[in-house]
Formats: sequence, structure tokens, C-alpha cells
Amino acid sequence: MEKVLRIKSDFFDQKVTYTHNKELDKLKGRILAPKKLEEANKMLRKIKNWPK
Amino acid sequence: MKYEIYSDYRNTDDYNVCDFISIGKKGAIPKRIVFTETELKDVYNLAFGDINENGEIDDCRISDNGDRNKILATVFYVVDAYTKQFPERWVYFEGSTIQRTRLYRIAVGLNLDELSQTFEIYALNNGELKPFYKNMEINAFLIKRKNFYLCVHGKSIKDQK
Repeated sequence: MEKVLRIKSDFFDQKVTYTHNKELDKLKGRILAPKKLEEANKMLRKIKNWPK
Repeated sequence: MKYEIYSDYRNTDDYNVCDFISIGKKGAIPKRIVFTETELKDVYNLAFGDINENGEIDDCRISDNGDRNKILATVFYVVDAYTKQFPERWVYFEGSTIQRTRLYRIAVGLNLDELSQTFEIYALNNGELKPFYKNMEINAFLIKRKNFYLCVHGKSIKDQK
């Protein structure tokens, strides 16, 4: 059975619905935006002053 | 915030993938938001874009569906919900182009007072991380929910999670 979650945002005066989709679960473990992740890792490696 | 958002999402059970449909002048366009673990602990990269014919994210496509603000607000909403679920996680994001990063900078800047109440917002510029302020030059954003407090029996205590 699909797991459906209805939530109200603190920022928006609207209710939203999250529906768990088993087909999407097949994407788990795959890197879905590899170039973007590579760029992010490159930028993150350069950070010297990580906030504590 | 007075922005309209899309309100029907399909997601993985770990909330790292979230799909919705943009409805506009060019019809219905499937969109995908993805949070991916980076090399740094508790830092997740946010990727967002159209779902192309191969089922992959295309973050360079300009869909011109006439709903840019609604989409930006929706992405922000999903980030808000995600960090509520995982308050210890940082979210890293940058635009796929300089123009898009500028657009995000403007959008965050316009709502900075409200956003700052909930999030720590940092900008990354030439390897240096600085608290974000309006109109600053940036390469990317890093945000995290502020330390949250639980109200128990009328007293606020810092959550030690």
C-alpha cells in the first residue's frame, strides 16, 4: 500500500501530499546527477573554514 | 511566504528523490529534486531539473513553462521538509549556470529575514564560507536548520540528537 503523508508547511499556507512510490525506490543507490555531485564535491573540498 | 507551490509529490522512502509535475503554458513537465550524499559527512547535494527521455535529470533545460516562481518555491518547500526530517544534514546547492545561481541568490535575498529565522545560510565564494547577505558574490549555498528546541512542560530544552 502506498504511504501517503500530508503536511502543512511553516512557510507556505498550503498543504502538500507526499506519496511514497516504489518505482522511484529503484533509483536508490544510483547517482542521479553525477556531474552536479562531482562539482559539489570539488567545491566542498576547497572549504577551509567549515562552521563549528 | 506568499508564493504558490506545487503540492503533489512522489518520493522514495528515504525522501532523497522527489518528483512533481510542472503545469504551465507548455503543458505538463515532470520535474525531479534529488538529494545526494557528498564526500563530507552530513552534507547533501541538491540537484533539480526536468526528467528527460532517459529518466535522468536535465538541469540545463529551459522549460519556459511560465511557472518559474512556483517551481523555485516548490524546491524550497521540499528542502524545508527534507531538513525538517533530517535536521542534522546540510544542503549544498548551486545553479547549473551563473545566471541560475544569481537567480537563487536573488530569491534567497528577497526572503532572507524569514529564512534566517529557520536556517543557517552560508554562501561559498572562492573556497570561503561566509554567512550569506544580500547581493554578495557567491558560487554556491550551504544551508542547515538552526539548532532546534523542544518545548517540554513549558520549558525549552536543546535537542541533543
